[in-house]
Amino acid sequence: MNFEKVVFGFFIVLSLTLNFGFFLGEMDNPEHHNVFELFAIIVVNFIATGLKLGDRSQIGAVLLATSLVADLHLVAAATYWTVVVHVTETGLTSDVMVSIISLSGGALLANFISVIILVSDTLMSRL
Amino acid sequence: MTESTDLSRVSFIVMREMRRPVMALITVYAVSILGMVFIPGHEVDGKPQYLSVFHAFYFMTYTATTTGFGEIPFEFNDAQRLWAMVCLYVSVITWFYAIGSIVRLFQNPFFVRAVEERKFSRQVLRISEPYFIICGFGDTGSVLARGLSDYGVPAVFIDGDEDRIRALTLRDYRVPMPGLCADASVPKHLLEAGIRRRNCQAIVAITNNEEINLKISALARLLNPSIRIITLSKVDVFEETLANLGGEVHIVDPFKMFAKVLVTTMTHPSFYPLNNWLVRAPRVRLSDAIKPPFGKWIVCGYGRMGHEINHALVKQGMKTVVIDPHDCSEEEGIDSYIVGRSTAKTLAQAGIENAVGILAGTDDDGHNLGILLNARKLNGNLFTLVRQNRHENRIAFEASQIDMIMQPTLVTARRVLFLLVAPLLKPFFQHLLKDEPGRKEDMEKVIQQLEKKIGRRQPHLITVDVVKERCSAVTACLEEGEQVLLGDILKHPDNFNRKLDLIAFVVKSGEVISVLPPDDYRIKIGDQILFCGTGASRRLLNATLNNEYNLFYVRNGVHLPKGYFMRWYAQRQNRPVA
Repeated sequence: MNFEKVVFGFFIVLSLTLNFGFFLGEMDNPEHHNVFELFAIIVVNFIATGLKLGDRSQIGAVLLATSLVADLHLVAAATYWTVVVHVTETGLTSDVMVSIISLSGGALLANFISVIILVSDTLMSRL
Repeated sequence: MTESTDLSRVSFIVMREMRRPVMALITVYAVSILGMVFIPGHEVDGKPQYLSVFHAFYFMTYTATTTGFGEIPFEFNDAQRLWAMVCLYVSVITWFYAIGSIVRLFQNPFFVRAVEERKFSRQVLRISEPYFIICGFGDTGSVLARGLSDYGVPAVFIDGDEDRIRALTLRDYRVPMPGLCADASVPKHLLEAGIRRRNCQAIVAITNNEEINLKISALARLLNPSIRIITLSKVDVFEETLANLGGEVHIVDPFKMFAKVLVTTMTHPSFYPLNNWLVRAPRVRLSDAIKPPFGKWIVCGYGRMGHEINHALVKQGMKTVVIDPHDCSEEEGIDSYIVGRSTAKTLAQAGIENAVGILAGTDDDGHNLGILLNARKLNGNLFTLVRQNRHENRIAFEASQIDMIMQPTLVTARRVLFLLVAPLLKPFFQHLLKDEPGRKEDMEKVIQQLEKKIGRRQPHLITVDVVKERCSAVTACLEEGEQVLLGDILKHPDNFNRKLDLIAFVVKSGEVISVLPPDDYRIKIGDQILFCGTGASRRLLNATLNNEYNLFYVRNGVHLPKGYFMRWYAQRQNRPVA
């Protein structure tokens, strides 16, 4: 067993599962989506991105790209949330909520691809 | 250079042919528009209305193309209608003339050829990896193309037969295989096939015509002094010329080669199955050793194959009886020569009861099978050697339980394929088959290892050039002054203690060739290594050669940390990081 691989896999899978949890629920209902969950996803995603930095292999580059895509989506969602609550003070209306959740859906897809690459890379070397 | 001339040629032809129609169109349009502009229309408030140039052009645009939107922007008077009629007829006829010229141009065979040649040379330029030029896409060429595709090596084909090139484009190859219908002995076409390009590795001349093969080889040597040339030749006179071309020239003669295989198999019974197994002949097991017997042989058919086999047998000190309809007295070493067709009568006359082997080597498949049946009836224990001329008779030949089948096109194609994808196989066999102590044991060892590591799976011959483009990780490691051992890269990139299903056959380092190199051989930049292994191990080997993390693991048994953070952590724990 390789400690590095455990840590690496842990953060990649955790960001997918947290993201899925946040995504679940009615899309336009703010009560179904927790702001702390979004916060946790962003933190875990950033950690996962950090772990992928500096890998010189081909697979490493693709993994990093998917992570960056997920980060982009999540940061956009969080910024939107902050703006409507604190800047324009219009609150989490249902159309705002739908936008935030669809952004997190995009991040979910990127995280999913990341996990698939991780799993297939592991399986490939098992041949 | 070739590309730009072709490009300018095609565009030049189009422009020259279109000059007159375009001129005619411009004139007709100009006159019509001017007429429409100057003819006064209906009067409004006492002043006649005129069409503007824009409106006149708009009117002509839909009238000349027979669309006909009507009288726009206002209703015409009869003078305008009269002119409009003239315009319509003249412009429509001019359009037909212009379109007809284009169609005629596209049907012109010379133009079609020019376009095809240009397309071909563009396809060739798009190949960036090493590739080969193959002149002749007959039976041999198509077997060769299939083999190259299996090995993932692109090739460029030139054949004079249009149907063969059409057949080529319909095949499903895994790599680009562009084809041109042209005479390969014309220098221009060889240039179009990229004979002077740096990644063009070899030219193969396997057309049906020996003289053309010779001409192609000579041209190729003149156009590119360093290219490898492989030529099909069955005539000794040509072979002398070919040998004098200089550079690396390989002459492939299927009959001579098969005679050599027969002789080798007499002393090394496992050679024939090993050879067939390596070319992935169906249903061949490594353990199916055969041994052509010593004694009296009957040679039916004294053509090229009969000559070569008879020559080889006589050289081995065997008695031969030749049966052939043509009298040929000058040949020596033949025990007796019977003139006539090979029938039950002549076979009995040749003393088939006490013969040990028979060769049915005529150029007629039906006749060969007939000889086989007759001979078996007279002597059931014969060793049978039959020539198969046509590929479509395969099923009949396979059903007849023949000891050795010789199919000239297949022998040639396989030989050429090995010369192209595994050039080190030749020195490998030369080494193993040399009559020196220990070599037979080496051969047995190789076969045992192959049986153990690959067994019934498909064998892959893998040629690795230790250069930056093919083995980026290994060359990087070597440039830093570290050593990489052959045994290292043979390890499984997933488990340090396991080995890949690969056997290193030969290492060529500079001019030094070492056969069956030991595991502690130190790899150098520029080496060429020939492995034999399975498809899966081929992929894993490639990963090791090009991925620095995999290479580090097989060399040291520990995983290199990936990423900045993990490297920092490993450094704190005093573990290796690079």
